[in-house]
Amino acid sequence: MANPPVQGINALFAGRHIENEYVHFNKLSALVIDDISAMRHAVRSQLQSLGMNKVSVASNANDALELIKSTAFDVIMCDYNLNSTSSGQHFLEYLRNENLLKSTSIFVMLTAEAEYSFVANAVEFIPDDYLLKPCSESKLRSRLERLIDRRAFLMPALKAMDAGLYDVAVAECNKLLDIAPDDRRRMDVLRRKSDAQLALGEHLNVLETYAHADSVRGDAPWVMMGLARTHYALGDFTQAAEMANRLVGKNKNYVAAYELLAKIRLEADDDEGAFELLHRSSVILPSAKRFRSVSQAAFLLGRLEEAKSNTEAAIQLSNGSMVERPDDYLSLAQTQVDMGEHKGAIETLEKNARKHGDVGLFGVAKGAILAQAYFDSGEHEKARKLMERSVSLLANRTDSVAMTALGKAALKTGDVVLGMKLLTQAVQVSGQEEQIIARHVKKSMIDTGHADKVEDVIDGGRKRILLLVDEATKLMRTAHFTEANQKVNEALGIHEENLEALMAAAQLHLLWLKHEGMDARVVQRAKAYLSTLDKLVPNNQKVMNFYRFFNDIVSD
Amino acid sequence: MQKILSALVIHDIKNALALLEIDLEQLNHRKDVPAEGRRAYRRCIELKNRLISFLTLYKHDQSGLQPLMAEVDLAEFIDDMVRNSQSAMMAESHQGHQIVVHADHKRMKLENTAGGLGMFDENLVELALESALNNAVRYAHHRVDVWLEQEADAIVFKVLDDGAGVDEVGELMQRKIEEKSSSTGLGLALCKAVAEAHGSGSVRLESVPGGTLFTMQFRAVA
Repeated sequence: MANPPVQGINALFAGRHIENEYVHFNKLSALVIDDISAMRHAVRSQLQSLGMNKVSVASNANDALELIKSTAFDVIMCDYNLNSTSSGQHFLEYLRNENLLKSTSIFVMLTAEAEYSFVANAVEFIPDDYLLKPCSESKLRSRLERLIDRRAFLMPALKAMDAGLYDVAVAECNKLLDIAPDDRRRMDVLRRKSDAQLALGEHLNVLETYAHADSVRGDAPWVMMGLARTHYALGDFTQAAEMANRLVGKNKNYVAAYELLAKIRLEADDDEGAFELLHRSSVILPSAKRFRSVSQAAFLLGRLEEAKSNTEAAIQLSNGSMVERPDDYLSLAQTQVDMGEHKGAIETLEKNARKHGDVGLFGVAKGAILAQAYFDSGEHEKARKLMERSVSLLANRTDSVAMTALGKAALKTGDVVLGMKLLTQAVQVSGQEEQIIARHVKKSMIDTGHADKVEDVIDGGRKRILLLVDEATKLMRTAHFTEANQKVNEALGIHEENLEALMAAAQLHLLWLKHEGMDARVVQRAKAYLSTLDKLVPNNQKVMNFYRFFNDIVSD
Repeated sequence: MQKILSALVIHDIKNALALLEIDLEQLNHRKDVPAEGRRAYRRCIELKNRLISFLTLYKHDQSGLQPLMAEVDLAEFIDDMVRNSQSAMMAESHQGHQIVVHADHKRMKLENTAGGLGMFDENLVELALESALNNAVRYAHHRVDVWLEQEADAIVFKVLDDGAGVDEVGELMQRKIEEKSSSTGLGLALCKAVAEAHGSGSVRLESVPGGTLFTMQFRAVA
């Protein structure tokens, strides 16, 4: 490598810049997020001075979010200290969780030296780079050049990821692996490849990719975390826990590992253990989301004081920000009702949560919890009216959270028939949330003295549905489509929004079309099942694959 | 309360200084910038480096530095370090005579098995080397060389200046004394803190044939 000349102050004074022949800053767009106006504009001048002429600025996460939704920025420069309650780290975590950040966007966190190493070691969602503030223009330039260069290498795979074409992304990654000049690039590619395979739900293939990465460089945290998650997804909790514990042993602040361990404890019905782990991760890296998890675990354990304080913390931390959730007030009020603080619950809902209104599904749950509070304070008539209103507000909508709240209120205020019906439905429509909703339902029933009916309500015909789905799957494999369809219809007759049954129905109709050729009615039904699934579980990989398969068949 | 107040004030000063630096940097892009403008920029950078060194050391004392280990391309790191070093930039127009800061690839030793990569906290090491470089530039006559040597279980960073020769041990002593007492003593302390944070680290300043050699080394984790 040739020795580059030192960029002297004289060159700088003369207004000369050293141009990198590969990076054309004038073609790149950037977003600068900083709460201090002068700082924002200073960083913008630096970027402009590098040649970028599309530089946007935002003073807070909400404004930044709007910009990110509408523009695919090449570079996002975010200050770590956004304001007193939300940090750049929260913002990044939010963007990644909600899938709002393009794979092609480079996210750079600007931090002060005192804060950066702490955050950096604690989290899974790390930015593409950290820059210490203040950062000189020439340093900014070389860091950005390096990042852009790395991105350029990955570009075909990144573009496929952003287009949702994960199988294409895997193929592109394989091509890149053949030409990767060094281990670092190889690791970059393997990481993207594993992301794409995870999105496709290819758990066995992703294990191979992790093994490959491990052979390039052992014990990379993302590989260990990925392995732990994959073992978990494949149902191997022992291996998953072993890997997560190894990761924690190496980095005691790795919160994602604690969170996975907590999930494993929950599966083993060790609620205490899960609570402890979630609590630990909320101490290491406090966020509204983590406080909510702790609160929920505490609530299910009957540790109401802790449930209350953690929900209060979540409300305080998220108030007025984009991670604010009206449901926090529902959790808080329900906890207060269960603690016998009906006055507090009424104040929480009628006063503190006023800005969230009382219509829609929020209104249903709010009315249901208020009904309990008024019932407990002896105002039975008021409670009855609130229940009536909530029932009519719910109409024929299905939402497991609103139904759970309303079901519990019905049991508590004496309408056992309605309560059982709602709680049964709540479990049936809970989709991916099933486990947690079932726990809440179980607790509500035990609390209201109906422990004997828990099994019936939670099962709600599920065993029968699964049996039918199983039979239908066998029949469709042997191309007995009409018979399989009968089984699927029977399953959907028990519960029309059961995910397993709907998935089987969709799969059946796609195979049907593939084998027997086009049939307008079958096409029609396939479309209907897919759109129901898409509504129930948006962005589900399996459903997206069905769609792709469907489009292939239809376009043939 | 006092502690919170001082933290706020320091944070505020640091931000203000950072802004001033960027303003001066942008001002210095202009061809017609007066000598005072250049001087102000230099002073601002020095002041900022001192403050950051101080804050990093304070953090080290209070709760310990936690390096963020990441893979670093070693040759690229040294090149970028030298190219972007503000001390190097200022040295070019140092007090009438220029000092050249040179990324010395001939002296560079890389472990073949590591593929030219090392594991350390790029930002912290850069901070440390910048202060070592700043020091070297102050005492150099004409030239400063920077390189690193990768060993099986350690990484060694070296900064050699042609300031104090073999028979100028007295000068070296003087320099060490000055470093202990003056504000630039912060620099060595900072390097020590960064090296220690990476594990079994040490720093050394010694007189060698041809000048004065600064060495910072720490254990390399795989």
